Amino acid sequence: MANKKIINIPLGSQHISLLEPIKFKFACENEKIVEVDSDVGFVHRGIEKACVTKFKFDAVPYVVARICGLCAITHSLCYTTAVESLLEGEVTQKAKYLRILLVELDRIHSHMLCLSHTAENAGFEAMFMQIMGDREYVMDLQEKISGNRIQFDYVTIGGVNRDITVDIIKDIKTNLKLIKSKVDEYIDEFTNNWSLSLKYKDIGTLSLNEAYDYNAIGPLARAAGLKTDVRSETNYLPYDEVGYKMQLATSGDIHGRNIVRLNEILNSIEMCENIVGGLPQGDIFTKLRGKPNGEALVRLEAPRGELMYYIKGEGKPLLNRVRIKTPTFASIPAFMEVFKGSNYADAPAILASFDPCMSCTAK
Amino acid sequence: MINRIETSLQTVVEDIKDFYEKEKHHFLTLNGLKLDEETTQIQWIFSKYGEVDDITMFYVDVKEYEMIPSIVEILPSAIISQREIVDMFGLDVEGSSKGLYLDEDSEQMPLGSCGI
Repeated sequence: MANKKIINIPLGSQHISLLEPIKFKFACENEKIVEVDSDVGFVHRGIEKACVTKFKFDAVPYVVARICGLCAITHSLCYTTAVESLLEGEVTQKAKYLRILLVELDRIHSHMLCLSHTAENAGFEAMFMQIMGDREYVMDLQEKISGNRIQFDYVTIGGVNRDITVDIIKDIKTNLKLIKSKVDEYIDEFTNNWSLSLKYKDIGTLSLNEAYDYNAIGPLARAAGLKTDVRSETNYLPYDEVGYKMQLATSGDIHGRNIVRLNEILNSIEMCENIVGGLPQGDIFTKLRGKPNGEALVRLEAPRGELMYYIKGEGKPLLNRVRIKTPTFASIPAFMEVFKGSNYADAPAILASFDPCMSCTAK
Repeated sequence: MINRIETSLQTVVEDIKDFYEKEKHHFLTLNGLKLDEETTQIQWIFSKYGEVDDITMFYVDVKEYEMIPSIVEILPSAIISQREIVDMFGLDVEGSSKGLYLDEDSEQMPLGSCGI
């Protein structure tokens, strides 16, 4: 029997389905991907180095917020929480609730962005435009609360920078109600639409066993049935008081990841409604004393999964170490495993369903 | 709260093999911490699924000329963190090549002793 011919086909670093530069090299037997290599270093900016040489610890939240436009709030909050654990004083409950509010709004618009791109990859451009249009309701709320649509420097060491007004609470309730009705429509489309089902069911599957083997995180892991979510594995933020519920699927395919994200949007809406309905009284900022002395490790659930900050200081304005572990970076080995055995034609859709963020990855 | 466990380059792979149960533990990352010009502390960090802030850290203080063993046989996903350590600190990790973030022929090591 003749040897099977292997053809090497690259995807990226610039490709129509990619929003940011990443390169995968696929070795294919006919249409089937049999081996994968990746290159993720196109936009490395040396931010870890800058955080320990150029910026004092109290300026770093505004630096790390620039790592990613989509999850800026999670980066600045994760770093800030790590620093706060090494300072004297306590952040108020109201500030913690407002932090969750922004993090969950951020998750809603990030998931909507991912869902719009997965729809676009199935050739469903009308749905792409509809979801992107509806996403504006969330962006408007973020602007009203923080002053910016993205890259908002809302979190500061000791609390948050802006209080919320009665008018904004009214807008939050109105817009979230609108988004909720839209998400119910998306669930129906993603579940029952023939072209989306054909394209995404049983495609790009990560099994539960593979999810354990490759330390999968975020919606990628939960779609495979792996019960992990940092919101239930840390107590820095009072998620247990605002109605957090873990969302799982079992199929592990693109469809499963879509459904997990859609259900997470609904849960995030519920949490935001609970927060504005029962916001604690009090200040939004506490002056914390001292400089970070010791080490701290904090994890938060970003839209793409677990984000981790490790910091070490010696009571000086500059820290010794700021280690940032981002969700997409940690998921690259799992991504590569999912590609193996898939058709090359499905690779762009599979990649979109991972919701990769190269800005975070290369940092 | 971090449960810190000191280990050595000779025993770290065995120690992690004994500790790690894939359905219980989640590998967070491999971290480097520069202690002085010649020494870097390498940390293998794990959390526990479903437990609140249950973090375990294996650590070894490594000299620049020493080879760090790979844990890819136990944890395939560790390869990317190992390659990051090679690029950022200029250290040698078994089976992990340079070129993840930097050019393969780059002499720079941003977080190492000859940092840019």
